[in-house]
Amino acid sequence: MAAENIGTLMDPASERAKRGAFFFPMLFTSIICAAWFLARFLWAGTSVPKAADFGVGVALTVLMLFSIGPMSGARTKLIRGEDAAALGRLAALLGIAVLVVVGIIATWWAVPIGTGYGGIYDITSGWILLYFVGGVLGLLASLMKGKQVLERFQSERWVAHNVLSFWGELVLLWTVFFIVFYIA
Amino acid sequence: MATTDIQGQVLGETEGGADKFAWSMTLPLVRATLWGFTAYFLGAWITAIAAHTLIVNALPATVGYVFGLLGWLAGSGLWEGWIRRAFGGAEAPVYTGVERYFRFSSDSKATAVRYVIFNVIAFLFAGLAAMAIRIQLLTPNSTGWWLSEVQYNETFGIHGLMMLLAVVSSVIVGGAGFYLLPLMLGVRNVVYPRLLGLSWWLLPPATVAAFMSPLIGGFQTGWWGYPPLAQNSGNGIVFYVLAAATLLTSSVLGAVNIVGTMIYMRAKGMSLGRVPIFVWGLVAAATILIVEAPATFTGAVMDLSDMILGSHFYTGPTGHPMAYLDQFWWLFHPEVYVFVLPAFALWLEILPAATQRPLFARNWAIAGMLGVAMVGSLVGAHHYFTAMSATRMPIFMTLTETVSIPTGFIYLCAIGTIWGGRVKINAAVLLTLMAMMNFLIGGLTGLFNADVPADFQLHNTYWVVAHFHYTMLGGVIFTWLAALYWWFPKVTGRMVNEFWAKFHAWWFFIFFNLTFLVMFIPGIEGMNRRVAIYLPYLRPLNEFVSISSFFLGAGFLIPAVNLFVSWRSGKKATQNPWGSKSLEWHLSSPTPYVPFPEGSEVTVVGPNDNYAAGAPEPFVWNQATPSK
Repeated sequence: MAAENIGTLMDPASERAKRGAFFFPMLFTSIICAAWFLARFLWAGTSVPKAADFGVGVALTVLMLFSIGPMSGARTKLIRGEDAAALGRLAALLGIAVLVVVGIIATWWAVPIGTGYGGIYDITSGWILLYFVGGVLGLLASLMKGKQVLERFQSERWVAHNVLSFWGELVLLWTVFFIVFYIA
Repeated sequence: MATTDIQGQVLGETEGGADKFAWSMTLPLVRATLWGFTAYFLGAWITAIAAHTLIVNALPATVGYVFGLLGWLAGSGLWEGWIRRAFGGAEAPVYTGVERYFRFSSDSKATAVRYVIFNVIAFLFAGLAAMAIRIQLLTPNSTGWWLSEVQYNETFGIHGLMMLLAVVSSVIVGGAGFYLLPLMLGVRNVVYPRLLGLSWWLLPPATVAAFMSPLIGGFQTGWWGYPPLAQNSGNGIVFYVLAAATLLTSSVLGAVNIVGTMIYMRAKGMSLGRVPIFVWGLVAAATILIVEAPATFTGAVMDLSDMILGSHFYTGPTGHPMAYLDQFWWLFHPEVYVFVLPAFALWLEILPAATQRPLFARNWAIAGMLGVAMVGSLVGAHHYFTAMSATRMPIFMTLTETVSIPTGFIYLCAIGTIWGGRVKINAAVLLTLMAMMNFLIGGLTGLFNADVPADFQLHNTYWVVAHFHYTMLGGVIFTWLAALYWWFPKVTGRMVNEFWAKFHAWWFFIFFNLTFLVMFIPGIEGMNRRVAIYLPYLRPLNEFVSISSFFLGAGFLIPAVNLFVSWRSGKKATQNPWGSKSLEWHLSSPTPYVPFPEGSEVTVVGPNDNYAAGAPEPFVWNQATPSK
């Protein structure tokens, strides 16, 4: 029996299992991400400087909501087995993800750094940024696998599904907490 | 047809590589070490130059740690074994022989064996730190000839952190848990095998960093890391925080696999009511980790932010040090149940087989474990009754004492199982019974800590130290040894020398109790924990405790030698030496590389712990239909 077959034999979880069990790391990471957002309220919420500019934040929120389109599209195409179309939507999503990363870094200049508020905002944004970097890497990995070894991409569609689920988690967290943050 | 015959027809090459050990197989481990240290110094050195500071300061040490961790992982084979293929690169060969133990591997059995070896090594070093502590306490003031007060503080901090996060947290979940989880569920591997492999490779760098922390200034906060002391007592605290965050991440990667595998990958016919009791214990523990770890993980990272990025979460003008306590104990008290629930479950796996009687009130046992997980998740604040408002006190006192009710279910199930039966005593069963006795003392003395008026007298004394050693060492480590002896034949194909195993069990039990039962007395008499110097009237008690502990520590050479010698030259084990009905015992010994090759799957028709006379076998094996 070839070593590759043994490798497949020793990773016996079905696509349903791989996708279903992904709920648990998502739950863990969501609570952490929510904690970072909440830290802004608990430590800095009362001292938001009047000069703080949330324009970039609003633009990013709109962008995140816009990303639901390619995200849903990619998932539908994956389910139908239309891999080329799915890869196209994953590429669009990757572009959006990169823009969000750049936008988060840009917000570091939108709030006055050096104040107590600025310090908390920048640090929490920095930790949240890691999530988006993770999303970018996940999307990139799926795209590269799909372009280079389509057969492997097809046999491991659960990976792309889970990357999309992770992005959905980010959309939800960002939107909910940014809106609350903005209104507050 | 016997189950092994069915497997034998289809095992073939899936039994695992038969190559003999060669030193070249350890290359990935050596490479990981080399790359890890090189990357650490590179990262720390570049940062120190860029920030115009010393290499031992907090920021360079943090960057160095991150670089070192990445270097270590890259050297381990993570790149070619996972990352490269994930980005569309070439597949790496699958190692089925001895070499899989020395490199990044997705085989859960190899990961579990690595956990056991890591735990033994970490236990040795953390145990040596305990011996250093007890030497210090031989006389009221040993600072002139042994450890200084600062060194003493560093030593008990490292001892506590390592024993809890590098030993007790993974001895049962990591070793027995990851080995047995797929086998008991009737599947070949866990749901995310590579994540599970990664969970082990995160442990060594974190542990090495914690042990090395004195080299960059140490930390004097104990394993709690409370601010603002954390920010004012040595740069080594960054290694403490980074190690804690890394070890927590490792635990969660394992927890995700436990819950995911149990929910989605059970053998055909294995309804939730037929899931082995040990798996239920693992799931209860894993659930606590997934839900509670984020708050504590975030606390560690926020503490680190305060140290290296200039934020003020816990210090300075906007800092709230008490918030750290809430976040820290949010997980780290329930973490005790993460340690002990799998141990409880192992008792309930071993005792039915040892008595050949059905597990008493199985559903109550499951309810007990889930109940401990649920109620226990809410009690962390009882660690600082002395620093909380009067309103919170009765709430947390009541919640804490409520944990004893579901714990009682588990004890009653264990006692009901052996009640009136003939227990076949071997070393594993003996240690299980001893663990039950020890944990009972630990649990009952814990009630005094949970009771606010009593806690005001006992808080921060040696009473607390004795109490938690009864639960952790007396409950968990005794059970760990029981598990090692019980499943040793399945993992190695050899039997343990029973005489020496029982000899050590009694040695361990006697000197453990001489050490820690006596330790309650200086606690009641007012001896504070975490102080290098104490009042002279406490000397006789401390001398007795220290000398007992030296015997206790030295005794661990017995199982170390016994297990090694038994592995090399012990009597060959049969497939099922204990007459257990659990699924793993129906596989050949040692377990083949692919435990359930295509054509030898099972269908589950009943729980694995029903030993009632005339009860049907819990598994039906499919007839072999070799695919090749």
